[in-house]
Order: sequence, then C-alpha cells, then structure tokens
Amino acid sequence: MDTTMQRGSKIILFVVMSAIALVQIFPLIWLVNFSFLKSGDFFGSSFLKWPEAFQWKNYADAFQYGRVPTYFMNSLFVTLTTVIISAVLALMMSYAFTRMNWKLKLPTMNFIMLGMIIPIHATLLPNFIMFNKLNMLDHLFTLIIPYIAFSIPISMFIMTGFLETIPKVIEESAVIDGAGVFTILFRIILPMTKPAIATICVLNFITWWNEFIMANTFLVSENLKTLPFSIMKFTGQYSSNYGAQFAVMTCIAIPSILFYLMFTEQLTKGITAGAVKG
Amino acid sequence: MHQVLSNKRTIFLLVVPGFLFFLVMVCVPIAMSVYYGMTDWRGIGDYQMVGFDNFVNILTQDKVFWRSLWNAVLLVIATVVLQHPIAILFAILLTHMGKWEKLFRVLFFIPAVISIVVTSKLWSAIYHPNFGLLNKVLESIGLATWKQEWLGNPDIAIWSLILTIMWQGFGYALLLYYAGLQGIPEDLYEAAKLDGANHVQLYMKIIIPLLAPMMRVAIILAVITCLKQMETVFLMTNGGPGESTQFLGNYVYKAAFSSSLYGYGNAISVLFVIFCLILTVILNKFLKKDVGEF
Repeated sequence: MDTTMQRGSKIILFVVMSAIALVQIFPLIWLVNFSFLKSGDFFGSSFLKWPEAFQWKNYADAFQYGRVPTYFMNSLFVTLTTVIISAVLALMMSYAFTRMNWKLKLPTMNFIMLGMIIPIHATLLPNFIMFNKLNMLDHLFTLIIPYIAFSIPISMFIMTGFLETIPKVIEESAVIDGAGVFTILFRIILPMTKPAIATICVLNFITWWNEFIMANTFLVSENLKTLPFSIMKFTGQYSSNYGAQFAVMTCIAIPSILFYLMFTEQLTKGITAGAVKG
Repeated sequence: MHQVLSNKRTIFLLVVPGFLFFLVMVCVPIAMSVYYGMTDWRGIGDYQMVGFDNFVNILTQDKVFWRSLWNAVLLVIATVVLQHPIAILFAILLTHMGKWEKLFRVLFFIPAVISIVVTSKLWSAIYHPNFGLLNKVLESIGLATWKQEWLGNPDIAIWSLILTIMWQGFGYALLLYYAGLQGIPEDLYEAAKLDGANHVQLYMKIIIPLLAPMMRVAIILAVITCLKQMETVFLMTNGGPGESTQFLGNYVYKAAFSSSLYGYGNAISVLFVIFCLILTVILNKFLKKDVGEF
C-alpha cells in the first residue's frame, strides 16, 4: 500500500517537473522547428509543424547573410583571449591577496570587489567616448580590454576563496628551498588550483561568448562583429526572411548549449561559488 | 618566508597588471561620467560646465528616469514574489528526483546559458501578433479573445518583458536554491523524520528557514540584476511603446546615442552606479538580521 502511494506520488512529481521543463524548453523546440520552415509557413495556425521539406536554405542564408562563420571566429578569438588573460591575472592577484603581506591589501581587495556591483551599462557611454578619443573604436582589443576588466572581480572572488582552502605547507618548503614567488605560483599553485581555474574559465567563457551590448557599441566595422550580432543583420533588407532568422538564432544558441553540456559542473560551481560565500 | 612574501616588487608585479585593467575600464569611466555629467555636451563641439544641473533635472523633472526605476521595482516584485518561491519549490522537488535530478537541472538551466540576443529575439517572435507562438496557443485553447499585441500595448508590454526576463532567469534562481539545499546537513532530515515530522512540516519548519542565508544572497543578486536589466529591453522594445518599458541602462544609451545628450546621459550613468551601490548596502544591512545559523 505504502509503496504504491510512493510510486504514485513519484509519477505525479515526474509529470509536474516535466511540465515545467517543457515550459522552459518549448520556445527552443519551437525555434529549431520553425528554422526548417519556409517563411510563408510561419503564419499557419499550428504551433509545431513538421516541415514538408526541410529548408536547409535557411541555414545557407544564415551563413551567407548573417555571416555566421566569420562572426563565430571573431567570438572565439575575443572570448578565448579574454578567458586566458583573465585567468592568469586573477591567479597572480589572488596570490598576492591571500598569501603575501602588504599594507593596502584589504582596502584594495574591497575596492575591486565593488566592481561586481558596478553595472557594465553605466560604463558603456564613457568608455565609448574614451575609445573614440583614442581612435580605438573598431578593434577586437577594444572589446577584449573591458571584458578582462569586468572578469577580474568575480574571478578573484572565486580564486581567493579557493586559495584560502589550500594549505601553505608545500609553498613554505619551496620558499625554504629558495624558490621565488613566480616559481611557486606557476609550478606549485597553478597545478593545485586547476579546479578553480576551470571554474573561472568556464564562467567567463559563457559570459563573454554571449555578450552583446559592448560588442554592439564598441565595434562599428562589419568584419569585426561577434556571433550574437548575426541576428542584427536581419533587421533591414532581410527582415521578412523569418526562416533564416530562426536559423541564425539556432546557430547562436547551439554553441552555448553544447558548451554548457560539456562543462555543466564547472559552470554550476562558478555560478554558485559567488553566491554561497556572498 | 616572511621576506619573500612581503617583497614589494613582487607584490607590485602580481597586482598591478590586473588592477590597471580594472582601474582604466571600470573606475576611470565612472570618473569621466561624473565630469561629463556636469556638462551640456552634445557629442560634438564645445560644451559648458553646468554644475549639478543635469543631476537636479533628472531627479526632479525627468519622468522617464523615474519610470525606468519604477519598471525595475515591478521586475523586482515579480521576481521575488513569483520567480523565487517557484524556484524554491522546484529546487526542493528536484532533490526528490533520484536519477532524473541531473537531467532536469540541466533542462531548467538551458535558457540561462543562451545569449540574450537569442532569447530576446525569440520572445519577440513568440509575442509576434501574426505568427507568434503565444497567440497561436491562446487560439488553440479557446482563448482567442485574449490575443494581443503583447509588445505593442503600453499597458501590457512591460509584463511581456518581465515574463521573458523571468523565464530566462528561472534557472539561475533554481540553481542557487538547489545549491543552498545541498548545504543542509543530511542528519537534519533524518532527525526530523525520527521526530515524526511529515514532509510539509519538515520543509516549512526546518528546511526553508535554513535556506534563509541563500535567500538573502539570491534576493540581493536578483534586485541588482533587475536594476541592471538592459539588453532584453534594448532588443525587444527599446523602451517603447512610449517609454513604458524603459530601464536605466537603456535610457542612458538612448539619451546618448539617439538624442545626442552626452552630458545628460553621463549624469544618468552616475546616478545609476550610485543607486546600485546604495541598494546593495541597504539590502545587505536590512537582510542580515534574519539569518539563521546551523
């Protein structure tokens, strides 16, 4: 009796969860489905529709007019450069903040942590003015520099938290053996902090891979745009090509989803690490 | 040991590169905003210092500014009153899913990892008056009279926007509470069961109060995120129709890049930063009181 009841409630639970999961996922199913339809078929009354013929042409249009391949490579370059430099800088800074002794340590740390509260959007306008004056608009580094800057507070937050949990014994013996700080940092600390570095990299990767508003503001030339921008190519001339627009959106969404599926645990850790210590 | 670890030159080399990035890209811009915020600069040509005029005008006369803040408040209320309780409920349900737990966790979180560009454009399509998914669903369940121009009606557009933002953020909230639940020791569940507590009592009396610290963090994060909301607005409505869906970030953008009010836009930026800082301090103070210990 008891077990049938438990079984019953398990099934109800499963159904409820599936229903909500469907609400979360359904728009994406719709997106992929309609990306294979002719634009004219969008206006029918059914909300899911098996295509009479798969319109691969939508994807061809997405690649051609949306310039998906070029923008994909730009995104990859910007994101990877940001991720690597941020990780190295965060490791170096975190070491100085957790292991070394200096007077302004605490105030500097708190000052940097304030950066997590500052909205990116409040710096858009002055940074635009600055880049404009320095004639730096329209260069991929114009994007990478602020990306790194905004990665530093959260990366340091995760890294310092992790470093505090690592015992100092190994480093101490290395110091006695005459090793310098940089040797310790890259030979001893780097291998030990791999999990934290992975978390930081994954979190920064997904953040900057998806970033739109700075890319939209600081880059003017068509050749330098990043992947999220492909969709903006369909606002004017091609705005009634719905099929291609849905195909572009699918192309932008899929790398993020794949990346998440590959690094689910690291990303989960990255997102919760900030909060748990909060 | 002591000498190696307090070598000034080493510390300088470790800290300065990263700190420079932060200083030049985060702090200098804010200082610049303060300066330009005190001018009547219109993007090109000369400008005059006008002191605090911009700031006074924004705070006393600018209806759009206050509308933007009010929209952020609406979003906060919707998030805290609707999204978070649902997220807590589903985080709890998740822990009972056994081998399915991970699958559902991933499914719930997927919208949160997709670029805002996609989710915004996708929801614009869902709200589309002609081929939009929402109107089609309403028609198919016999509610054809409810069909709407979801983003074109000034009374409804803000709620359409809020729904989109909540849909995308749901996975985040869920994940935070799920992590909070993982931090509660197993013995507590056992002990409560031994004392004869049923599921409802267990959660209402023991587990949810223990989630309080996580709620504090999640709510602070949510409030700040709501205030910072911009891309979804920019891509879906650009603040319209008639500024009814305006948010601060987008308003700055519009003032500067569409109306060429660079001085004024910078002043809004400064107030934006100040609001974020003050709000964080207040929330931290205010919510710290009811944190339970275990």
